[in-house]
Amino acid sequence: MKLKLFIDPERDEEIIVYAHKKSSLTDAIEQLVSENGFELIGYTETQAVKLNPNEICCFSVIGEKVFARSISGDYRVKFRLFQLEEQLPDTFVKINQSCIANIRMVDRFDSSISGSLLIRFKNGTSDYVSRRQMKKVKERFGL
Amino acid sequence: MNKYVKDFFHRGLIFGGFGPVVLGIVYWILSEKVENFSISGFEFFLGIISTYFLAFIQAGATVFNQIEHWPITKSLLCHFSSLFVAYTLCYLGNTWIPFEPKAILVFFGVFVIIYFAVWITVCLSVKAASKKFNAKIK
Repeated sequence: MKLKLFIDPERDEEIIVYAHKKSSLTDAIEQLVSENGFELIGYTETQAVKLNPNEICCFSVIGEKVFARSISGDYRVKFRLFQLEEQLPDTFVKINQSCIANIRMVDRFDSSISGSLLIRFKNGTSDYVSRRQMKKVKERFGL
Repeated sequence: MNKYVKDFFHRGLIFGGFGPVVLGIVYWILSEKVENFSISGFEFFLGIISTYFLAFIQAGATVFNQIEHWPITKSLLCHFSSLFVAYTLCYLGNTWIPFEPKAILVFFGVFVIIYFAVWITVCLSVKAASKKFNAKIK
């Protein structure tokens, strides 16, 4: 893979990668970019922890507060959902009005009796895909 | 005004007009197929108003399935009952079914069967979609 680095203070900073397929290198680049410049702090009752977005299953609104839900537990974050949507990498997609999901942390999909699509995350929690977000979710999964 | 109430009226106003269009097509087919088919001006007027109302409710009621903080049973019950009331009023008002308990009971039975047939179809299509998604993440 070739690398071209242009230092130009006049232009917006961006990284574009052309690859034949996803690999450990593209994953590492994605992780590096997602961690760079976006500090996510999660709060529990007693402590504040620096969170790695790649380890978060989803961000959910619970009782008007936003929580980052990971395998190690739930952490309150001080961002609104729309702010997270703007800052999070492409591995995250809004699945309904109150949840942004990390597609890398999806365990499986299920159907519910209400006729909606359920996402089960690797931490055991689940949330559904609203019809309004279905198109975006399909696109993100390449369907 | 509540977002969902707004959505209800917005969708109703967009799709309400399709009711009279469908009614017009039915009347056209009947006039072609049934000998001496005729309706009075009042019946025609009532048909237009009631099918507009029916299409309005049918389109607006889709909002119930999108109120994300409602439990499934509540949204399903609201959707079902609003459609049932709208259809029953429309059919009785136009005397498409007689105002008799037996006829209303049969109408209810047919309505339930069709409603749940549509529901099952939707559930099956979502199940198929979930299979596709699962195949993609493996």
